Amino acid sequence: MMATVFIIDDDPAIRDSLSLMIEQENIAVETYENAESFLAAYQPECCGCAIIDVRMPGMDGMQLQEVLSKRNIILPVIFLTGHGDIPMSVQAMKAGAVDFLTKPVTREKLLISVRAAIHECEKKCFEISTHQEAVSRLSELTDRERGVMLLAIQGYPNKEIARHLGISHRTVEIHKSKIMHKTGAANLLDLARIAHEGNTDS
Amino acid sequence: MTEELQDLSFLVLFNAAADAMLLVDSTGHVIHANSAAQLLLEYTEVELCSLEVEALMPFRYRQHHRQYRDFFYNKPEKRPMGYGRDLFALSRSGKEIAVDIGLSPIQTQKQLFTLITFYVAEKRYQAEQALRISEERLRLAKQAAGLGVFDFDSKHDVIHWDERMREIWGGDSSESISYEKFIDAIHPNDREARQAALERATDPAGNGEFNLEYRVINPKDKVEHWVATTGRMHFEEGYATRLIGVARDVTDRKIHEKKLQDERSETENIFKQQVAARTASAIAHELNQPLGAISAYSEVALHALQSGLVDRDKLKRALEGCVLQAQRAGRSLHELMAFLQKGELVTEKLDINKIVKEAVDITRGNGFGDFHTLLNLDPDMPAVLGNRVQVQKVLVNLLRNAVEAMRNANIPYSAITITARTNKDFNMAHVIVQDCGPGLDAETAKRIFEPFFTTKPTGIGMGLAISRALIEANGGQLWFEPTTNAGASFHFTLPFAP
Repeated sequence: MMATVFIIDDDPAIRDSLSLMIEQENIAVETYENAESFLAAYQPECCGCAIIDVRMPGMDGMQLQEVLSKRNIILPVIFLTGHGDIPMSVQAMKAGAVDFLTKPVTREKLLISVRAAIHECEKKCFEISTHQEAVSRLSELTDRERGVMLLAIQGYPNKEIARHLGISHRTVEIHKSKIMHKTGAANLLDLARIAHEGNTDS
Repeated sequence: MTEELQDLSFLVLFNAAADAMLLVDSTGHVIHANSAAQLLLEYTEVELCSLEVEALMPFRYRQHHRQYRDFFYNKPEKRPMGYGRDLFALSRSGKEIAVDIGLSPIQTQKQLFTLITFYVAEKRYQAEQALRISEERLRLAKQAAGLGVFDFDSKHDVIHWDERMREIWGGDSSESISYEKFIDAIHPNDREARQAALERATDPAGNGEFNLEYRVINPKDKVEHWVATTGRMHFEEGYATRLIGVARDVTDRKIHEKKLQDERSETENIFKQQVAARTASAIAHELNQPLGAISAYSEVALHALQSGLVDRDKLKRALEGCVLQAQRAGRSLHELMAFLQKGELVTEKLDINKIVKEAVDITRGNGFGDFHTLLNLDPDMPAVLGNRVQVQKVLVNLLRNAVEAMRNANIPYSAITITARTNKDFNMAHVIVQDCGPGLDAETAKRIFEPFFTTKPTGIGMGLAISRALIEANGGQLWFEPTTNAGASFHFTLPFAP
């Protein structure tokens, strides 16, 4: 999916100039004059990053970051501030901001930050999609098949699995073949990876 | 010896007695009066002997006395008269003399006489004792209050004073001091103020009161004391003659006050520093915003030219942005300077009703057209005195705020009521601009006049601060009043032209 940069700043000139700058790099831009209108328009599948002004009337930048994190929105955040407020920047970075830039920001710095943020977003998006795929594949397994899989990926031979579960060697072989088919795993190692990714703990 | 004593008749003893005595018969008439009684009552013995005892007492006691006399004769016994009441004898010249009176019955074979003795000395002693107690009480009270008493005799330029005054002034034990010496001990910087206070008290047209706090430097130990004095001038035939009053050492209180004052000014300094820091931070923000945009626009233009990929529309937009933002920065600076500078004010007679209508037209012309006005103007309003441009600017600013507030709240029917009337309490022109927007919450209302406080996205936060400064420069006041119905209402006053 194409990345979009969301600019949330109450100053129309800042929104306009930054969007021109980012569009020059052929990156899509959407601008919002306040946090509330951005939250109302945001679609969860969007990928890219958000450039947020710290100082805004209504919900300010830091509060917006909090809302994004509460809603599990993975969009990386770049903060823009008028003057370098160190305690605030530390707090923002701890809360997961990608960068904390001081206005006026140079083209070079801004674009480096934006690219890094988009890259991080894509990485996170990929992780999430593989996880979701694995979860959906594993969800097709029956309880018995899941039991066989857990033993198989721990390296138990078919004979051991059969004895452990009190079923025949032949039945284990049939289960294993169904497991490989349902998960699309090429081999046992691949199956172990899928099982790991689909683990809700990860 | 005994024989000699027997020769001394009653009358000899009677006449030799130091106390005034009268011998009275059973009809209440004086039979004998000794020499002390003659002296006390200013009568000769012959005169006294024709009088009833009632003639020797003030008129107010006479009526009841006859009854008392009958009681006594019914049960004659030696006793003091009056049972503790204050008794007075009346002299021939009409003087009332405080006395104690003793009554002694003397029974002869024929009749009952009464010996009346006047004890004047005892009574005087009691009066003196009472005076002493009263003086002692006053002295103790003065001591407890730390009060010194002075009596300035302005005819002779002498001050009579008590011990406490002498203590403060470091004077010797004499009962008075020359005015010159008295002034010498007063702190040189305070002499002028004291002289002025004295002159006010001396003015026969004034109330004669003398109230002042000043410093006294004790000439003995050079210690400085703060003294609070209160007194009143006494006049004789229209001339100030005596200033009598009290003085109290208030050095401790003054030191305490000074400490409080220092603490207060320190707090004020901290507050001023905070305001300065906040002002600087706000100015930085106001300039940084357009600078940030200009920087970005310029880099966009530069990059377009360097890369050779020139999109003419976007290049134009970037350069226009630069121009607008540079102008915005300049405007912010001008507004700040207008607020910080206090130029000379040119005022003229203004028709406030006309200014209101002009301001409405200006606001409509500036793209704030979508509002209705309800003008509630007093046609007989006298002319006010003010600077036309400034008053107009304030009105336009209030109207804009009102329109923006209603627009942001999506009020379907935006109406502003403008009232102009005479405020009788202040005798000033009073203008009210009331919108039907959402109004202000308490927190905003408290801060609305602070410089750089704003609720608008691109507002600099100087509008109301400047408006208030302008109205105050024109001799009026600008304030916000919460209203019971919806909407915000701003009020200002302006003085009438003389």
